[in-house]
Amino acid sequence: MHPLRTASRRLLVPAGALLLAAGSAVAAAVAAATAVAGPAHAAPVGYVRLAHLSPDTPAVDVYLAAPGRGEPQIFPGVGYGVVSAYLPLPAGRYAVAMREAGVPADEPPVLTTEVAVSGGAAYTVAGVGRHADLGLRVLTDDLSAPAPGHAKVRVVQASVRAPVLDVAAAGGPPVATGVRFATTTDYQQVEPGRLRLRLSSTGGQTTDAEVTLAAGAVYSLLVLDAERGGLTTELRQDAAGGAVVVPSGGVDTGAGGRAGPPAYPMVVGGLAVAALAAGLVLLRRRGCG
Amino acid sequence: MTGRAGPAIRRHRNRRAAGAALVAVAAALGVAAGTGAGPAAPATPAAAEVGPAAPATPLAIRRPDCATHCSPATAGPARAAAPTRVRVPRIAVDARLETLGVDAAGALVPPADFAAAGWYAGGPAPGDPGPAVIAGHLDSRDGPAVFARLAELRPGDRVLVSRGDRVVPFRVNGTLRAAKRRFPTAAVYGPTPGPELRLVTCGGDFDRRTGHYRDNVVVFAVAEPAV
Repeated sequence: MHPLRTASRRLLVPAGALLLAAGSAVAAAVAAATAVAGPAHAAPVGYVRLAHLSPDTPAVDVYLAAPGRGEPQIFPGVGYGVVSAYLPLPAGRYAVAMREAGVPADEPPVLTTEVAVSGGAAYTVAGVGRHADLGLRVLTDDLSAPAPGHAKVRVVQASVRAPVLDVAAAGGPPVATGVRFATTTDYQQVEPGRLRLRLSSTGGQTTDAEVTLAAGAVYSLLVLDAERGGLTTELRQDAAGGAVVVPSGGVDTGAGGRAGPPAYPMVVGGLAVAALAAGLVLLRRRGCG
Repeated sequence: MTGRAGPAIRRHRNRRAAGAALVAVAAALGVAAGTGAGPAAPATPAAAEVGPAAPATPLAIRRPDCATHCSPATAGPARAAAPTRVRVPRIAVDARLETLGVDAAGALVPPADFAAAGWYAGGPAPGDPGPAVIAGHLDSRDGPAVFARLAELRPGDRVLVSRGDRVVPFRVNGTLRAAKRRFPTAAVYGPTPGPELRLVTCGGDFDRRTGHYRDNVVVFAVAEPAV
């Protein structure tokens, strides 16, 4: 059967090509799947915001840039006490540079730092300390849900006038004790609702602040030097809106109509492609005579 | 609240509060958008408006002082209608929204209609602060369903949710696929800095023994700042 032998030899080449093609298709599919999947538990973006927490430092321009990804984002004229909104950013490393307000972008920055953004995580890049020893600090903001029926709050201490500070709810437990200037406490779980907070510095000076905290929300209480002496506070809602009742597990949103025949899809697909290719080759052979 | 359509909406009073919170956050974001950075020294408006958000506490721990503090006069104007439609132009989705709840086991109940998507009413509504969750079927027994092409979405794609006359625009920022038994609950349902959206459907292999897909596909989106 001479002709048949040639046929099978002719078949070998396209079959090899087919195998290669199938292999690369599988590889591509796997690559696509991993690109979509990413780390299983991480959200695709993280959050970064900027804060100016140095009482005697004039306003600054802040630049946030992903290396090799175009123009930096610029936050112009950020003054003492300002905390920006969070920017959602793809995970990666970002360079932060700070210049005095109005200084051209091509001049060397006063301060630089880097923030490594993970998916699902949040960061505050803060200018902290006195102007003389100003530094950029990356604070990690834990925006995870508080215990059910609670709020979370932390103290961001940016007051030079009260270098060491205690914060307590009136008639309630302390929120934070001995908080030093230019530091930030961990988030504490507190009862939600209206709270009268008493801030007492080591000097004996006290300031009261009334805040309203919603259950399920996450807050930062900024303590700042007031313009006209004394302290002032500013409550920032860092995150909110987590589900009141969090459903367990995933969602059964499919009935299988697209899933195809009950077999190993790769094998079935591969066989089908092979059969098709064989058919094509035979057809072509017949066509060429 | 006209949108109190289904029995599955059990926490509508929270939505009112959430609306008030939205005003506060929107104010904060507005200032932020104007300056390119958050509320500057005059942060008092934002701080003051955090007040009405107080009633966002679950009913069980509602404070007595709420009676005076959560007056409809302050909370009222911020209330928005319940979400009714979701549109995803890139994958040609324009679907009605059902209202979803959880079953006795605590799992999210998918939409009854394979052509409709559903909004989980135990979380925030789309456009309110927090992660609104919209689930839709990948397929029925017969063929593709409303979210058949969800996994095609890529960062930058738009999702539009209608709430009464208002349309809340979202921008996709990423997608993940995870096994249902390792569902990223915190990333999907946890608190967020602002209004966000998660679109959920099935993915991966179909398990004929259980009659369900093994994975979920989750698309993450963030509300576009109001211009």
